[in-house]
Amino acid sequence: MGGEKMKGDKEIRHRPHWFEQFLEGWSVFWQNPLGKIGVTLLGIFALMAFSSFIPPLVNPMYHPMTGVDPEIYSSVGPSARHWLGTDFMGRDIFSQLLAGARIAFMVGVSAAFMSIFLGTAFGMIAGYMGGFVDTLLMRLADVIMVLPTLLVVLILASLFGQLNIWTIVLIIALFRWPGVSRVIRSQALTLKQRPFIEAARVAGASHIRIIFRHIMPNVLPLAFLYMTFRVTAAIIIEAALAFLGFGDPGTVSWGMMLQWVWKTGHMFKALYWLLPPGICISLITLSFYMIGRAMDEVLDPRLRREETAR
Amino acid sequence: MEIKRYLTRRIIQILVSFFVILTVLFLLFRLAPGDPVSRMIDPSMSPEDAEHLIAQLGLREPIWRQYLVYVKNFFTGDFGYSFHYGRPVLKVIWEKLPNTLLLFTSSIILSALVGIFLGKIAAWNKGKPLDSWMTIGALVTHTVFLPWLALILIWVFAYKLGWFPITGIISEEIWLDPDAGALAKALDVGHHMVLPMATLFCIHFGSYLLIMRSSMLETLKEDYILTARAKGLRESVIRDRHAAPNAALPVVTSVGLSLAFSINGGALTETVFTWPGIGRELVFAVSQNDYPLAQASFLLIALVVLAANLVVDILYAYLDPRIRY
Amino acid sequence: MALLEVEDLSIGYRTRLGLHRAVEGVSFSLEEGKSLGFVGESGCGKTTVGMSLMGLLPRNGEVLRGRVLFEGRDILSISEEELRLLRWKKISMIFQAAMNALNPVKKVADQISEAILAHSSSVPKAEASRQVEGLFQLVGVPKERMRDYPHQYSGGMKQRAVIAMALACKPRLIIADEPTTALDVIVQAQILEETRLLQEQLGISIIFISHDISIVADVCHDIGIMYAGELVEYGSREEVFDSPAHPYTRALLSSFPTLTGNREMLKPIPGEPPNLVDPPKGCRFRERCQEASHECSLISPAWTELFPRHKVRCIRFERKKGPQ
Repeated sequence: MGGEKMKGDKEIRHRPHWFEQFLEGWSVFWQNPLGKIGVTLLGIFALMAFSSFIPPLVNPMYHPMTGVDPEIYSSVGPSARHWLGTDFMGRDIFSQLLAGARIAFMVGVSAAFMSIFLGTAFGMIAGYMGGFVDTLLMRLADVIMVLPTLLVVLILASLFGQLNIWTIVLIIALFRWPGVSRVIRSQALTLKQRPFIEAARVAGASHIRIIFRHIMPNVLPLAFLYMTFRVTAAIIIEAALAFLGFGDPGTVSWGMMLQWVWKTGHMFKALYWLLPPGICISLITLSFYMIGRAMDEVLDPRLRREETAR
Repeated sequence: MEIKRYLTRRIIQILVSFFVILTVLFLLFRLAPGDPVSRMIDPSMSPEDAEHLIAQLGLREPIWRQYLVYVKNFFTGDFGYSFHYGRPVLKVIWEKLPNTLLLFTSSIILSALVGIFLGKIAAWNKGKPLDSWMTIGALVTHTVFLPWLALILIWVFAYKLGWFPITGIISEEIWLDPDAGALAKALDVGHHMVLPMATLFCIHFGSYLLIMRSSMLETLKEDYILTARAKGLRESVIRDRHAAPNAALPVVTSVGLSLAFSINGGALTETVFTWPGIGRELVFAVSQNDYPLAQASFLLIALVVLAANLVVDILYAYLDPRIRY
Repeated sequence: MALLEVEDLSIGYRTRLGLHRAVEGVSFSLEEGKSLGFVGESGCGKTTVGMSLMGLLPRNGEVLRGRVLFEGRDILSISEEELRLLRWKKISMIFQAAMNALNPVKKVADQISEAILAHSSSVPKAEASRQVEGLFQLVGVPKERMRDYPHQYSGGMKQRAVIAMALACKPRLIIADEPTTALDVIVQAQILEETRLLQEQLGISIIFISHDISIVADVCHDIGIMYAGELVEYGSREEVFDSPAHPYTRALLSSFPTLTGNREMLKPIPGEPPNLVDPPKGCRFRERCQEASHECSLISPAWTELFPRHKVRCIRFERKKGPQ
C-alpha cells in the first residue's frame, strides 16, 4: 500500500478540474425533478430506437417502409396484430413509430454534434483571434441567426432536388452553429486573458497549437452541455421538413408519418395514426427541454435553489 | 442624440445583412447543379418569350454582370414571372404579404402580452402550486410540435365541433355578397384567423412566460425592489410598477431573437390552414419548382424578419430609458 | 421616553448549514434628534439590525427574541399592514450601494413623489411635485435634473437623491447603511457634512451604519461597536473614539490611516470572524484578541460601565471594576 499511496497522491493531483465539476454538476442535475423526468423520457425513446430493429425480425410484414400485411391494405385501427393499427398502405404504425425514434436520435445527435463542432471551432477562433476575424465571423453568425432555418433548408431543397437524410442533417448543422459559437467565443475571450495562455505564447507555441491544446479542452465541456439545446432544434426541423413533404422518402420519421396521415386525408378518421407521432415529437422535445433547464442550473450556480433548513 | 445613432447603426446592419442574403441566394441559384437558365425560365414558355426574358435577366452574361442585373432587378421589383401563376412574381407575393403580417403580428403581440402577464404572476408566486402549474404548462405548450397541434386543433374545433372553418382566410359567400359590409368581412377574416392564431399563440406564449418568470425573479433581487418595499408601497404596486417593467425588457429582446423561429412556425401554420400568406407561398413554390416565386418569397420573408428585428429594437429603445437618453 | 428602544434583539438566518446567528442580544436606545453609529466589519450584524428595524429581513431571516420599541410600540409584533404604513413615514432608510436603490426605468422625481403619495392620500400630485422640488433644493441637486433617469446622475447626485427620498415623508428616524461607501473621498466628505447639517436642522434621529469608525465619529453622537453579532462597546463619540476600551475597538482605530497625529504603522487585525452557525463559547473576539486569557473562552463577558454612558463587554474591565 505504501508504494501505491505515492502514486495515488500524484493521481489525485492530476485529476482534471472538469471531472470534479462534472461530478458536482451531475448531483445538482439529478436533484432537479425536471432533469430526472427528462432523462427518463429520453430513456424511453432510446429504448424505442434500439428496439426498432425487432419488429421486422419478428415478421417481415412489420417493416415500417416495406411491410405489407397480406390481409390489410388500408388504414385500420389498433388490434392485437397491429398495436397501433396500420397506415394507408397496411403498414404497421407501431414499428413506424419505433423507426421514427431511431431517426430522431440519428438526426438530432448528428446535427447537434456537427453544429457543436462548427460552432466550437468558429467560436474559439473568433474569440482567440479577435479583431477582423472575430468581427467577420460574428457578423456571419448574425446573418445566419436571422434566417429561419426551416425555410432556408426548403430553398436548398428546391435547388438540389429531393434531399437525403444526411444532407438534411448537414444543412441543419450549417445553420445552427451561430448559437453555440457565441457562448464558446465569450469563454475563449475570458480564457485568453489567463496566465497559462500567456505562458504558452511566450514559450513560442503557435496560435493553432494554443487553440487546440489549451483552449479547446477548457471549452469543450461547455460545448457538450449546449448540445442538449441543439438536438431539439434539429429534430423539429427534420420533422417539419418531412411533414411538408420534403423529407427523405426512404426514411420513416415521425414527421413523415404525419405527412402521410395528413395528405392521405386520414386525419379525421384515424386518430390512432394521427396522435402517436405528434405525441412522440412533442415529448422528445419536452424531454430535451427539461434536460436543458436542469443543465441551466448546473451551468449557472445562481439558479440553484437555496435550501433552507426549516 | 444617442438613439438616432443607435438606430442608424441598426439600419445599416440590417441593410448589410440583407445584401449578404441577397448575394448568397444569387450564388446559390446560379451555381447550384443544373442549368440556371431552366431555373428562371418557365419551360412552357415560347422560345421568343424565353429569349426575351433571358436577355432581360442577363442569364448568358458573365456572372458578375448577372449579379448587377440581379440587384437592379431587385430594386425595380422585377423578380421574373411565376411558372405556376404566369404572372409577375412581385404581384403574387405582394398580395399575400398583408395576410402573413396580419396573422404573424397579432399572434406575436398576443403571446408576448399574455406571456409577460402570466410570467409575472408565476414569479410572484414562486414555489406555490400556481407557479409550478404555470411553468409546466408553459413547458408543455412550448414543446408541442406545431403542425401537429394545428391538426389537432382542426380536428377538435373545426371538424368535431364545427365552430371554425377548416381552411382559408375568407368565406366566399360573405365576400362575394355585394351587401356585406366591411364589418362583416372583417369578422369573417377574424373567424378564420382564430385557429391559426391559437396555434401560433400556444407555441409561443410559453417561452415568453418562462423568460419573464426568470427575469422577474432576477429583478426581485435588485436593490430598488427593497427600496420600494421600504417605502411602504403595496405589494401589487411593487410587482406591477417596479418589478414588471424592468423584468419585461429581456422578454422584448427575446421576441426579437426568436423571430426566425416564429417565422418557421408561421410558414407551417399557413400551410396547414391554407392561409394565403407568403410562408405558404414559399412552401408551395418549392414543391412546384417555381424558382422565381420561391426565390422572391424567401427574400421577402427575410426582409420581413429583418424589419421585424428593427421594430423590436426600436421598441426596446423606447422602453428602456437607459438607451433613449 | 426614547424614540427607539431595542431590547435583547437576536436574529438568525436559516441556511443550508444551519441557523446563522447574525445578531445576538443587542440592546440600545436612541433619543429623538440624536444620532447613533454602528461600526463593525462585514458580517458583524450591523446591517441586519438596521433591516430588522423596518421589518425588511429576507425570507430566511427570523427574529429569535427581543423587542423593538418605536414610539413605545413593539414593531416586531405588529401586522404586515401596520408595518407597511409605518415604513418611510416614520422610519426610512438609505441603503448600502445606493447605486441600485433607484429604479432604472422611472424618473427620479417620480420615485420620490411616489413615496409621498403613498403615505398621504390627500396630497394632490402637483403638491407632491412641489415638495420634491423642495427636497432637491435641500440636498443640493439642481431641480432641472428632477425629470431625469437615475443612470443620468453622477454617483454623488444619486446619493443625494436617495437622501432626498429618505426625507420625503419627514420621518422621525433614518437608518443610513453605508451610505458613502461607494463614493470617492471628496464627495463622501461633502455628503457627510450635509447629512450632519440636515440632521441638526430637521432634528431627525439617525442610525448610521458603517465599517469606518472615523466616518461614524464625525457624524454621530453615540457609537456602538459590533463584532460577530454582538454589541461589544457603546458610548458617546468622545468616549469611544478618545478612550476606546474594548480590544477590538482599539484595533479598529489603529487599522485606519489618519491625516493628523503621529506616523504609526497600520496594524490590520489578523484572523477572521468566527463561524456564527456554531458560535464559540465565551467571548467571540477571543481568537483575534491580543490580550485574551483562558477565562475568555469560558464565559461571555457582561457589560461593565466605565462612565455613565460608556460601557464595554470585556472581561478585563469586569475584573478591574469588580462585579457590577
